[in-house]
Amino acid sequence: MAARVKVGGWLQGKTVRKGGPASTTTTRSSTPQLQSTSSTVFGGGVKDASGRTSEYFSMDDQCPVCKSDRYLNPKLRLLVSACYHKMCESCIDRLFTLGPAPCPICNKVLRKLAFTPQTFEDLGVEKEVAVRRRIAKEFNKRREDFHDLRSYNDYLEEVEDITFNLIHDIDVAQTEARIKAYRAENAALIELNIQREEAYAQALKEQEGAERRERELRAMELRREEEEEREEREKGKREIIDKLETSDANAAKVIAKSRANALKRSSARAASTTVSHSNLLKSRAAQSTAIPDVPHVPLQDDWYAYEDLYGLRSGGYNDFMSEAVRKDREGIMRAGGFRVEEAWERALRSAVAALDLLPLSGANPNAAPTFKLDAGGDVVMASANG
Amino acid sequence: MSSSTIEAAPSASPIPKRPLYESSTQFRNWRFSPEQLSELRSSLNAAAVAVIRNTLENEKPGSSSVVSFLNAEEEYLLVKLYITKITQLCGLFRFPEDVEATAVSYLKRFYLKNTVMDWHPKNVMLTALFLATKTTNNVISLETYTAHIPNTAPSDVLDLEFLVAQSLGFEFAVWHSHRALWGIILDMQNLPDCPPDIRPIYESALTHLRASRLTDAELIYTPSQIALAAVSLAAPELASQWSMSKFRSDAVESAEQLPGVIESIKALITSAGHPPDIEAVREVDRRLKLCKNPEKIVGSHAYLMKKEQEEKKALAKRSKKADETKQAIKNGDPFGNVLEHESRGLVDYDDDDDEED
Repeated sequence: MAARVKVGGWLQGKTVRKGGPASTTTTRSSTPQLQSTSSTVFGGGVKDASGRTSEYFSMDDQCPVCKSDRYLNPKLRLLVSACYHKMCESCIDRLFTLGPAPCPICNKVLRKLAFTPQTFEDLGVEKEVAVRRRIAKEFNKRREDFHDLRSYNDYLEEVEDITFNLIHDIDVAQTEARIKAYRAENAALIELNIQREEAYAQALKEQEGAERRERELRAMELRREEEEEREEREKGKREIIDKLETSDANAAKVIAKSRANALKRSSARAASTTVSHSNLLKSRAAQSTAIPDVPHVPLQDDWYAYEDLYGLRSGGYNDFMSEAVRKDREGIMRAGGFRVEEAWERALRSAVAALDLLPLSGANPNAAPTFKLDAGGDVVMASANG
Repeated sequence: MSSSTIEAAPSASPIPKRPLYESSTQFRNWRFSPEQLSELRSSLNAAAVAVIRNTLENEKPGSSSVVSFLNAEEEYLLVKLYITKITQLCGLFRFPEDVEATAVSYLKRFYLKNTVMDWHPKNVMLTALFLATKTTNNVISLETYTAHIPNTAPSDVLDLEFLVAQSLGFEFAVWHSHRALWGIILDMQNLPDCPPDIRPIYESALTHLRASRLTDAELIYTPSQIALAAVSLAAPELASQWSMSKFRSDAVESAEQLPGVIESIKALITSAGHPPDIEAVREVDRRLKLCKNPEKIVGSHAYLMKKEQEEKKALAKRSKKADETKQAIKNGDPFGNVLEHESRGLVDYDDDDDEED
C-alpha cells in the first residue's frame, strides 16, 4: 500500500492544464467535457484520427460507488480515477468538490481534476497505455545511440522491465528510483531525442501541407481553365453574331471561319496547359525519392531454341518411324495428349541443335576462351564454360 | 561456348540468348577434347594402380612386383567390349533405341570417373542398362530383367546402382544422336534433290550412328554433328546440301568449319567404330583377374580388412557423439550453453525475479 501512495506522485496528474470553460462545466453531467480531461497525463486517452478521444460506453455500465446504472440514468458517465477505479460523475461531484478526498474503493487520496474518460473496456489496458506513454517520453534512445546491438537490446529489456514493474506495482519505489537515475544520467540525450522527434513530426507536417497546397493549386487551375474555355465559347458565339450582323459575306463562310479560329485558340491553350501539367508531374516525381521500378518478369526465358533453323512442314512428312502411331486411330499406342507433330518438332530441333558448336581441343581448353588459328588455318575454339 | 562468339543468338533480339543445348549437363559436364579424354583416363589409371599396388604390398610385401597392371588403353578396350554387350542385351529385351544409347552413355561416363580395376564392367554394364530403362521411361521389373540374363542376381544390379548414379552426378538426361538423325531425315524431305524413298539412307546412316557409339564421339561432338556425319557416310551429297541450308547468313565462319568437323567424326567412326578383337579382350580380362583392387572383391582378405577399418571408424564416431551428448546433458542444457560465455552488455541491472531463487 505504501508503494501505491508513492506511485500517486506521478499518477495524480499534476501537470493537468485545464481549459477555461471546462472548470465550470465539469460538474454538470449534461455538458460535454472531453476537452479538459483528454489532456491529462495518466489516462489511456487514445486519440482517433480526428484528434479526439473516443470514450468507452456500454449498456451495462454501473457506478460501483452509488450503484446507479444506465437503465436508471441514461446520461450516466463513468470516469476513471488516478488509481484506476470507475465512478460516475455525480459521485465525483459529491465526494471531491470540497477538495482532495480518499477514494471510496482503495482509500487513495484523489483530486477532482485527475479523473479521465475511459477509452478501453479493460482498465488494465488503460493503465498500461498510460504507463507506456509516460515511459516512452523519457526512454527515447534509439539504435544509433548505441555502439552495438547487444547493448541496445539490453537497454530495451531494461525499459520493458521498468514498464512491467510500474504496470504491475512491483517494487514501485525502487523502479521510480531507477527512472530518476536514468533521467539524471541521460538528460541531454533525452532532450536531444525529443527535439529530433519533434523535428521529424514537423517535417512530416510540412510535407503534408505542401502536398495539400499542391492539390489545391491544381484544382484551382482546373477551375480557371474551365472558366476560360466557357468564356472563349461565349466570345466566339458573340463574334459570329456580330459578324453576321455587320458584314454582308456568305453566312456559312463566316461561321466556318470563326469556328476555325476558335479551334486554333483552344488547341493552343490545351498545349500550354498540358505543358504546365507535365511540369507539375515532373516536380512531384522529383520530390518523391527515386525508387527504380523494375518490371516483374515471371519467366526468365533467355534460351535460344533454334527456332529459325527449322520449320515444321505443313503437309506432314513421309515418316516410316511414326507410321504405326499415326495409323492407330483409336490411340491405343498413344499416351494422352500425344501429337506426332510435337515428336517431329523435337526431332527437328535436336537435328539442328548446336550443329555449329565446335569441339573442344587441347589438353586444357577451358583456360583460354579465345580464338586461335592452328597450322591448318582452322579456327580452334575454346570455351569459358565448357 | 559463350554466346558472344559465332554461335550468337539472332542479332535482332536485344539480349543475346544462349542456345538451348548449352543448358544441358551434357554440354557443361560431359564435353571434352580428345586430349582431355586421354589425359583423364591415364591419370585415373595411374591413381588406381598406385592404390592397388599399395594395398597388395600391405597384404603381402613384394607381391605387387609380379602383377602386370592394365593401362588406360586396355581398360578402354574392355569397356568397349561391354558396350557391344549392351547392344546384344537390348536386342534380347527389345528395348528401344533410347535405352541402348542412354545405357552406353552411362557406361562411358561411369568409366571417366572410375576404373575397370575397381569395378568390373560386367556388373556396371547391367546396372547402367537397368538404370537407363528407368530414366528413359521403359520400366521393366528387376526380376524379369535378371531372369533373362544368365548368372545374375538382383543384388548384382542393385548393389552398384547408387554408385553408378553418383558417378554420373545424377545427370541422367542425355541428348541423343539418333533423335537428331530422325530430325535430319525428316528435314531432308524439304530438299529438292531428296529421293522419294529415304528409308535406305536412314538405315545405312543408323548403322554408322550405332558404330559411333563404340567411339568417343559423343564425349567430343554434339549429337547433331554425329548424326550429320552418319548421314554423310550414307549419302555425302545430300548431307552437305542439307548442312548448307542450315546456316544463318551471319554465321559464315562456322559454316566453313562444319565440314572439317564432320570429316573428323567420319574418320573416327570408320577407324574406331567396330567391336574390339575378342581374343585381345579375353587376354586383358585374364590379367584383370590378377590386378583387381582386392579391397573391392567381396570375401577377400583386403576386403575384410577394409570393412573392419570402416566399422572401427564408424564406432569411434558414434561413441564420440554419445560422449558429447552426455557431456552436454551433464552441463544442464542438452543444446549447449553458448550465450553464457558471452560478456554481458554495457547496461547491467539486478533482476528482481532472480533474487528470490
